[in-house]
Amino acid sequence: MSNPYHCGYNLHSKTLHTASPGGGLKKTRQSKIRLHVNGKLHDLEVGDKPHQIKPSHTLAHTLRETLGLTGTKLSCDEGACGACTVLMDGKAVLSCMLLTVECHGKTILTIEGLRNPETGELDPIQKSFIEHTAFQCGFCTPGMIMSTKALLLKHPHPSEEQVKEGLSGNFCRCISHYHVLEAIRALTGEKGHS
Amino acid sequence: MKLFEHHQVRSVTQAIRLLERYGGRAKLNAGGTDLLGLLKADVLPEYPEAVIDIKPIRNLKKIKLEKGLLKIGALVKLADLAESSLMRSQYPILAEAALRIGSPQLRNVATIGGNLCQDVRCWYYRYPCHIGGPILCLRKGGNTCPAVRGDHRYHAIMGGKGCMAVCPSDLATALSVYDAQVVISGPDGERNVLIMDFYYPLGYALQKNEMVKEVFLPPIPQSSKQKFIKFTLRKPIDFALVSVACLLGFKGDEVADARIALGAISPSPIRAYGAEKRLIGSPINETIVHEVAEIALRDTKPLSGNGYKVNIAKTLIKRVLADLRFNQKVDR
Repeated sequence: MSNPYHCGYNLHSKTLHTASPGGGLKKTRQSKIRLHVNGKLHDLEVGDKPHQIKPSHTLAHTLRETLGLTGTKLSCDEGACGACTVLMDGKAVLSCMLLTVECHGKTILTIEGLRNPETGELDPIQKSFIEHTAFQCGFCTPGMIMSTKALLLKHPHPSEEQVKEGLSGNFCRCISHYHVLEAIRALTGEKGHS
Repeated sequence: MKLFEHHQVRSVTQAIRLLERYGGRAKLNAGGTDLLGLLKADVLPEYPEAVIDIKPIRNLKKIKLEKGLLKIGALVKLADLAESSLMRSQYPILAEAALRIGSPQLRNVATIGGNLCQDVRCWYYRYPCHIGGPILCLRKGGNTCPAVRGDHRYHAIMGGKGCMAVCPSDLATALSVYDAQVVISGPDGERNVLIMDFYYPLGYALQKNEMVKEVFLPPIPQSSKQKFIKFTLRKPIDFALVSVACLLGFKGDEVADARIALGAISPSPIRAYGAEKRLIGSPINETIVHEVAEIALRDTKPLSGNGYKVNIAKTLIKRVLADLRFNQKVDR
């Protein structure tokens, strides 16, 4: 910590090091980042070897390619479609717009982590989506469900307006939105205000 | 994304020291919602050698009211701006502008500093490098702005000097109404720049070794009425075609204080000083509203294909004034 230029992702590394300009990637040797994904702890090495996390890797890339959690989808890859939505510390974020090396110590929840880990029972949101066929091709659905999860964590009984606002960052090319609204309405009752 | 070195810093001093070491070949990253897009499409004239994460800097994450001055740290997130009860009650224009940016997911990470420093949305500038190479516009060292003869439906209708891209920041429009100052930190200390002077024809008032530290807003007149309208083609995840922010103070029926700011029509946010002057001392009625809209837009020089933005801007000004007058009457 005495080094003013230490990299944040080497908090768990044994050797602190300076990063010097023009020095290339070799400077990021053996540093680690820690992610809590769906209740599991992952210590990931940062570096440029095939099994390591490169500084340019997005969280979406790490989730899908390194951790094999392919439930999180990548579509536009520029923050406009919402398909890659995951929860970070309880808030909906776009995993394609975050660098993995900047997520050290964060708690991530993806679509795979929604079901009950012991019984395998699906989350009520997932059940309601299935019941109301709130998808067609299904590609945007993980993002839709994660946005719904974030919304319901914040407003357990959202108004119609809040639901529309909460899901305004998720695109569906098959126009499943109406069924999605029905699925959420069925889940939260039509009470209105939170 | 091509590779870069990555650093995290815990203080403004560290950030600036690193910027100095890289001599302009490093980029600061806060929310990353703009920077990562730029890096993925490789649109920057020079791909950065390093990315410096400034999120760990703790003392830039607060909204504070000090002796009437509202100070907003550069790392305050848009979601926090939009939801803060202080912002919603005292500075509703800023709260509303923040709420209309992007989507909930973007607002959960995007910061006010990043919003002010985001790159322009011009489609020639943003053309992805990997599809046939970059389009060399003025911002990338070319000689001309391709938008002038090309498709410029979303470009500037006034104030363009060479580059016709508009300032994409809605917060800049909102902050203009409050005469906000941007506090810039650099190797030689701090300096303040008025938000309207923050944008240059081809960039910002920021030097390569400087960063935005906070934004401060002088006290606003008591019991003023405020309104922000953003005109977009889609409601979420869209940039303004035109945005208007207006703050009015009333004495009886007459306007005692008027501030009108226009966004997305010029490379920087525009204050319609002439229109404000015309408003002060008169009651708001249909004649005045039309006159004010004409005065506000009289200096525009639209290109061949974006004159429609003049009409939208005029309409928004009329709407904003009508709305504020209505509010004022209801309140009394």
